[in-house]
Amino acid sequence: MFRNNKVAWLFVLPALTFLLVFKIWPIGVSVIESLTMTSFTGTKSFVGFENYEYLFKHDPVFWKSFSVTLFYSIIANPLIVLTSLLMALLLNSSHFFTKFFRTVFFLPAAISFAVVSVIWMIVLDPYNGLANSFLTMFGFKPQPFFASPDQALWVLILLNVWRSSGYWMMYFLAGLQNIPETLYEAAEIDGASTLKKTFRITLPLLTRTISFVLVANTAFNFLSFAPVYIITKGGPMGSTNLLMYESYKSAFVNLDMGRASAITTILLGIILVFSFFELRFTRARFEY
Amino acid sequence: MKKRSLWKTLILFAVLGIISLFFLIPLIWVVASALRPASPLYEYANPLTWKSFIPTKPTLENFVHIFVNLNFGRAIMNSLFVSVSTIVLTVLVASMAGFALAKFEFRGKAALFTIVLITFMVPFESIVIPLYILIKQLHIDNTYWALILPGVANGLAIFLFRQFFSEVPSEIMEAARIDGASWFRIYWRIVLPLSVPAIVTVIVMVFMFQWNSLFWPLVATHSSRFEVVQVAIAVHRSTENTSWANLFSSAIAGSLPPVILFLFLQKYFVRGISGTGLKG
Repeated sequence: MFRNNKVAWLFVLPALTFLLVFKIWPIGVSVIESLTMTSFTGTKSFVGFENYEYLFKHDPVFWKSFSVTLFYSIIANPLIVLTSLLMALLLNSSHFFTKFFRTVFFLPAAISFAVVSVIWMIVLDPYNGLANSFLTMFGFKPQPFFASPDQALWVLILLNVWRSSGYWMMYFLAGLQNIPETLYEAAEIDGASTLKKTFRITLPLLTRTISFVLVANTAFNFLSFAPVYIITKGGPMGSTNLLMYESYKSAFVNLDMGRASAITTILLGIILVFSFFELRFTRARFEY
Repeated sequence: MKKRSLWKTLILFAVLGIISLFFLIPLIWVVASALRPASPLYEYANPLTWKSFIPTKPTLENFVHIFVNLNFGRAIMNSLFVSVSTIVLTVLVASMAGFALAKFEFRGKAALFTIVLITFMVPFESIVIPLYILIKQLHIDNTYWALILPGVANGLAIFLFRQFFSEVPSEIMEAARIDGASWFRIYWRIVLPLSVPAIVTVIVMVFMFQWNSLFWPLVATHSSRFEVVQVAIAVHRSTENTSWANLFSSAIAGSLPPVILFLFLQKYFVRGISGTGLKG
């Protein structure tokens, strides 16, 4: 470690400026904005926690959106982490086909969420989509998918698994490269099975990657926007109306900045709470 | 290395093959649709035959059309310009901060590191509204700056660089100091060249982020001059007479740059992440 206040601050200053201007300031403004209300004439007034109070007490649309978002995250989060971890474990070997499958699994991650959304919207078309063609071919009934209030959210989760698993798989693969081969060799001499090696060596040594992916993916999921904007517009019957989309509508369709900012601030709060518990959980679960 | 039994390999291959169908089938269908002359969207989707996945008369006319008549090349160039600018600025700014955080003891360091951590937990999309107000006040709304500058404020990139630089031995820098090198020279000539894996990781991260962003460009710009790839693709959806051939071909063309980048950098990407302390 070197000691030189002036030099250190010169190196840090550009980054600090960017962070303060484009992150810290907007976060602050968002919190303050959520405490104001804009009247029809355009004048802003400070109203304290009135926006929050209204959301929690008199706003069924918000509550529905709130519960949809929680449900979505609670299911999608562990599911994506599990699938990406599983894919990484399966591909943590050196066969002639390993590279090929790694690339295939990563392909959806290279495509933007907007494009992925359009693709799945068409594949899952209730009348003529590819998915229903497959189902009828194998003798199943065609499904409504995004047209059904019971299925839409599940399909949205599936879409997210399809898009995101390959991306997080890369982080797991990277983590796996760092586990020394000698540990496995020692375990093999002791006659440990593959399953035992996975649970006793791989997972404990992958803790830091697992909690990183879990936390990063949580924030990512809570802020899902593109599929809702492109495919469902929050419907049918509000079943896919995630908070991020509700906030967008509030701000840019209904021009109610106070409500929009309150929703975003609540969203940030939820993300921080979730991240906190996930960090605690992974620590308790995997570390020695 | 222990000799693996053949049947184990075969089972692994089969399992991976089945999983990859889930990823590949929609993609193959999209590629096939884009390579057909413009036709009703679902003509080949229902009922299902081999023709759904293999075009009988493949043609590139859809791709020619979007580039010649719909100016999709402009959107690609816009996205490339925005991505590359953001990457260059981010790598410089974040690596400098990461260097100071890794190698210096200075007043306010703890506070600064907290700011870095908070900002990487608070993702971009959640502050879009105040950010929009801010760029309007700065009079940079509807410019390239509006698309580039907010992307440079990247706590995760600083964090990755800091982790990476922590593992670079300080002795090299001490030796250079004794030889009379300035701190900036040490950073520029020694530290930065040593951090290629970290730089590659940040490049991929920032590129994917900028290339795939839709929400922010939609909010921050409105003239077609600044239309980026994702907006150019999404626009097809809202128009009444959607040409699916155009949509698919622009989606594919728009996805090629990240795929190509990934194929080139795959090796580095894995090494970059693992060299930054995100390992288990």
